[in-house]
Amino acid sequence: MANLGEQLLNALTLAGLLFLVSAGLSLVFGILRVVNFAHGVFYMLGAYLGYTTVTLTGWFWPALLIVPPVVGALGAFLESSTLRFIYRRPPIYQLLLTFGLALILEEALRILYGPTAKGIDPPAYLQGAISLGSLLYPRYRLFVVVLSLVVAVGVWVFLRKTRAGLVIRAVAQNSEMADCLGADVARVRTLVFGAACALAGLGGVAAAPMTTAYLGMGIGVIVDAFVVVVIGGLGSMGGSIAGSLIVGAAQTWGAFYLPETAMVIMYAVMGAILIFRPWGLFGEEE
Amino acid sequence: MRGSRALATVALVALAVVPWVAARHQLSLLTDLLIYGLFALSLDLIMGYTGMVSFGHAAYFGLGAYASALVLIHFGQPVPVALGAGALLAGAVALPVGWFSTRATGIYFAMLTLAFAQLLYTVAYKWRDLTGGSDGIAGVPKTTLFWGGPSLASPQAFYALVAVCVVLSLLLCRALVRSPFGHALEAIRENERRFTSLGRDPRPFKLVVFVIAAVFAGLAGALFAPFRGFASPEVMFWVFSGQGLMMVLMGGIGTLVGPILGAMVFILIQEVLSSYTEHWMIFTGFVFVLMVIFLPDGLVGTARRLRMRA
Repeated sequence: MANLGEQLLNALTLAGLLFLVSAGLSLVFGILRVVNFAHGVFYMLGAYLGYTTVTLTGWFWPALLIVPPVVGALGAFLESSTLRFIYRRPPIYQLLLTFGLALILEEALRILYGPTAKGIDPPAYLQGAISLGSLLYPRYRLFVVVLSLVVAVGVWVFLRKTRAGLVIRAVAQNSEMADCLGADVARVRTLVFGAACALAGLGGVAAAPMTTAYLGMGIGVIVDAFVVVVIGGLGSMGGSIAGSLIVGAAQTWGAFYLPETAMVIMYAVMGAILIFRPWGLFGEEE
Repeated sequence: MRGSRALATVALVALAVVPWVAARHQLSLLTDLLIYGLFALSLDLIMGYTGMVSFGHAAYFGLGAYASALVLIHFGQPVPVALGAGALLAGAVALPVGWFSTRATGIYFAMLTLAFAQLLYTVAYKWRDLTGGSDGIAGVPKTTLFWGGPSLASPQAFYALVAVCVVLSLLLCRALVRSPFGHALEAIRENERRFTSLGRDPRPFKLVVFVIAAVFAGLAGALFAPFRGFASPEVMFWVFSGQGLMMVLMGGIGTLVGPILGAMVFILIQEVLSSYTEHWMIFTGFVFVLMVIFLPDGLVGTARRLRMRA
């Protein structure tokens, strides 16, 4: 039983991190109609900047607060200096442009930080394990689960209950109509792109104490996040949550029972879902 | 059109003359460029002419490379047999993958092809007994042209084989896109819904062209393995698929010749940059962003547009 509980929590931790990344990917697709290949690199950037902040201040919490806005600001800047000019082109151009941005950012991080992985310690009272009945579980991993839950609720409340959220949903549904009704679509796009990057950056900071900050972590997470949004449906928050849980579970149990084929299981699940719902569980037909 | 015929003649003559004038390493670089060119050409069939952006095209290049490497090492057959095996395996795997992937369109198609390619990559990576895992298969020999025929071990001989394969593939692809089948593909690219409402089902067309593109990519991979002497999982990695898209874009989407040139320019830029700095990827990234924003038609597309204006 303890074993099962531990795996369940492992799956939830992984799902939490995947959600922080895929939620932004999905949000950006909903508003900008762009699949952001560079999204994983913003996650990696968050992890590295988190390392820098922790090294400079000696504390973990400032990293969690400062890094996401910084990553978000960089994202907003890149959107308004490159992507903005090519929205009218077919989607392939935007995908390729973000591919180029990903190469630039990844290589810049390699130059700045060198090839070795950078580890961070979690804050003192989140270190060690906590006992949950018969089960001992690392405190920090529980914290990641709680953090991603809080973010999920926060994003949902923001999109459903605030005026800004209403405008964003309007632009997602019909950007031309929203434009006619006075929404500043260009600004919404920049801000949403920035916010999505900030979420990815937050995910990166949260992941760093568990996985360390290393080159290639962005590439790894973006492929998983693609699978998440394909399963859940692009542009849907609920889909992003469901997809994260499914991929988190498939990877955790796959790695435990069939370590050689964990990746294959994830793709098999995706394939099976797509046969019945080619646009994902919560997606809408294009 | 007379201009392009003259250009084609010049290019053919240049290809034929090169083995007699180029130094050994230049000839080997050109062989490399032509193999990547063939890969980009195959991608242009689906990406440029049918509007299906595959993010997993490297998988078929890799399948071709592995099939060719295994045939050459274990059976010592002539190179053309290995080429056939590579093209056949790529096409055979593309059939079920295409059947699933063509159910989706646009960005979902891109992500599905990426996922299947990553799956194949994982298989190549894990199936240590057959593929050598992360080490890949080394020591692939350049055998002969046919049973008891001339050896292809010299750089000139292998270059000639690659050049002939690329030129023939280009002519075949050109004939394909100019055929009624090719026009149907362009109709699907322009307006799939209209194509459907005219009473045709686009999916068989998409599946067939997907398999044809995989066959040519497999051929490129099958040439790659004996030329470099190895096949490794890297050639199936998604980064290589992305680079393929870059090559097509750089040369000009939907021009066939363009992607071959694009591949050459792209690899040359990488070669030159990597001799100056280990951080060449950052410049590739910048070139890429600038190309997408300022030269969306690529080299050949832009040249054609300028000539139309003149």
